[in-house]
Amino acid sequence: MPETTFLIQTLVSGVGTGFIYGLIGIGFCVIYNASGIVNFAQGVFVMLGGMITHALLTRAGLPLPLAALVAVVAVALIGVVIERAVVRPLWRRNATMFVMILATLAAQIVIERLTLLAAGDQPKTLPGFSDAAPLRIGGIAIGVQLLWIAGVSLLLVGALALFFARTRTGRAMRACAINREAAALMGIPVARMLGFSFALSAGLGAVAGILITPTQYTAFNVGVPFAISGFIAAILGGFGSALGAFAGGIMLGVAQALAIVLFGAGFKNVAALSILLLFLLARPAGLFGKAH
Amino acid sequence: MTSPATTSPPSGRARLAPALLWAAGAALVAYAFVAGGYLVTVLGFAALYAIFVTGLNFFMGYTGQVSFGQNAFAAIGGYTSAVLTTAYNWPVFAAMPLGIGAAALLALAIGYPTLRLRGHYLAMATLALGMIVQEIAVQWDRVTMGYTGIAAIPPLGAFGRELPNERAQLAALLAALALAVWVASRLKHSRLGHALAAIAGSEDAARALGIDVARYKLIAFVVAAVYAAFAGSMFAHFVGFVSPEVFGLHMVVLGFTMLYVGGIGTVYGPLVGALIISLLPETFRGFKEFQDLAYGAALIVILIYAPKGLASLARLWTRRGAAPDAAAAATAGTSRGDAGAAR
Repeated sequence: MPETTFLIQTLVSGVGTGFIYGLIGIGFCVIYNASGIVNFAQGVFVMLGGMITHALLTRAGLPLPLAALVAVVAVALIGVVIERAVVRPLWRRNATMFVMILATLAAQIVIERLTLLAAGDQPKTLPGFSDAAPLRIGGIAIGVQLLWIAGVSLLLVGALALFFARTRTGRAMRACAINREAAALMGIPVARMLGFSFALSAGLGAVAGILITPTQYTAFNVGVPFAISGFIAAILGGFGSALGAFAGGIMLGVAQALAIVLFGAGFKNVAALSILLLFLLARPAGLFGKAH
Repeated sequence: MTSPATTSPPSGRARLAPALLWAAGAALVAYAFVAGGYLVTVLGFAALYAIFVTGLNFFMGYTGQVSFGQNAFAAIGGYTSAVLTTAYNWPVFAAMPLGIGAAALLALAIGYPTLRLRGHYLAMATLALGMIVQEIAVQWDRVTMGYTGIAAIPPLGAFGRELPNERAQLAALLAALALAVWVASRLKHSRLGHALAAIAGSEDAARALGIDVARYKLIAFVVAAVYAAFAGSMFAHFVGFVSPEVFGLHMVVLGFTMLYVGGIGTVYGPLVGALIISLLPETFRGFKEFQDLAYGAALIVILIYAPKGLASLARLWTRRGAAPDAAAAATAGTSRGDAGAAR
């Protein structure tokens, strides 16, 4: 039954993309939990992850694993820079949510344009992490990059779960999510947690960008669609729950894959955005979440 | 429903700066008409954006709502004009109203459910709206020509005659802008405008006064969409070219930058902001990428270092406190504009 095979094939690749959306969604949650801020510049981390790795690979001649590692660290640092330069001055002054959104959106544009100046407007891609033949189960081919995506994503989610449950910093961040004032009174450096959440979130975004780039392409302007997909994932998961965001990402990926089957590949972002609108209207608290 | 603050005239200090700006603007326009050349194009852009930002101001400044997706309506206006006049040989003055009508209908259909959302959700939903329309412009290439865009759009004109040159086009744009600002100012001081100001001050209080909050918000959204579509359509005919890039996210950020520089919530703020911001990056002339970079950076700087102006916006956004003090907002807005220009 070629029809069924095709459908399963599509779903498999949808799950793969979904992992990526999940990681980006977790990035939204990490910052939101630590500070109550929704960082609209989240997409640049994804874009920069792929772009910086590409630059290190082609211009500096680094091997891929090293290039990826350096890129993740660099993007985490850029996350801290955004936090220090844009977010913290506004946060200190208790700027309104709208101002924060606008400022992070402006930061998105600035970084996009800087990337455009530095790297040009041509789409770039990365080689697969390993060039083994795709895994074949029945008539379904699972690309090796997809396995990389699944493996790294699950590993990261597990590591994050441990981090938030076991480490001092992770617990402090959870305390901030529950009640920032109380956390501050308990001696938790809330402002430092904000910086840390940006670094963590940016690193996650960069990993997502590096993982997905070999299967698609990256360019200076891929950030916003990724950010919106990640935001949808976070909303599906009830905004704030990292695991929920991850599950939401997978659901979005699958829904998008189905939309591609139905309407063609060109409209995948339109499909994702329409899902966002429908969800916002029907169930703004997400699939699992309670009303805010 | 009429609060004294919204109707009291601005103080003397608040009048001086605008008077100077008016004189400078008038001199600039006069010089452009005499000298012609590139300045005409720059002022044309300023006028287009002033119309767009006036609409944005209507929804945000007057009503205290937020939309990051106004580029969607500009794109609908621009593309409707472009497609109908090039592929179907429609006259400009038939295509333009159709584009504006389409945008208004979409605003009505989308706004009805979406405007119930608040905060991040409303922000992201409107952002998504802008992205959806832009994606459709890219993907529906049989009609929109995809990334290539549509070129050779006929210039403004009526009754089978095109306006002869850029100066005449600029004159038409300025007339359109004058009309747009006049309508906005009339609306602001109408029953509708007072209702919107009440909503901006406090939705609950407005509701208690018997204002149908959802309906008025929707009206404001549609008005903003009509302005955006009007600007988008005029853009298509003035520049002669549209592409998905033209109506991208940078258009929204640029609009906000102008709104902040000029003074949010004021009738003439969009004019001032559009003029200053259009003139500033002419030093970077020829470097499109630098322009967007400059707009974005300028917006961040204004947001961080102009807390006085933000205070008035904070009141609008949180919808708390008493009726919005429009006069104070105007003062803060213009002084903020000067500060922004000086940097």
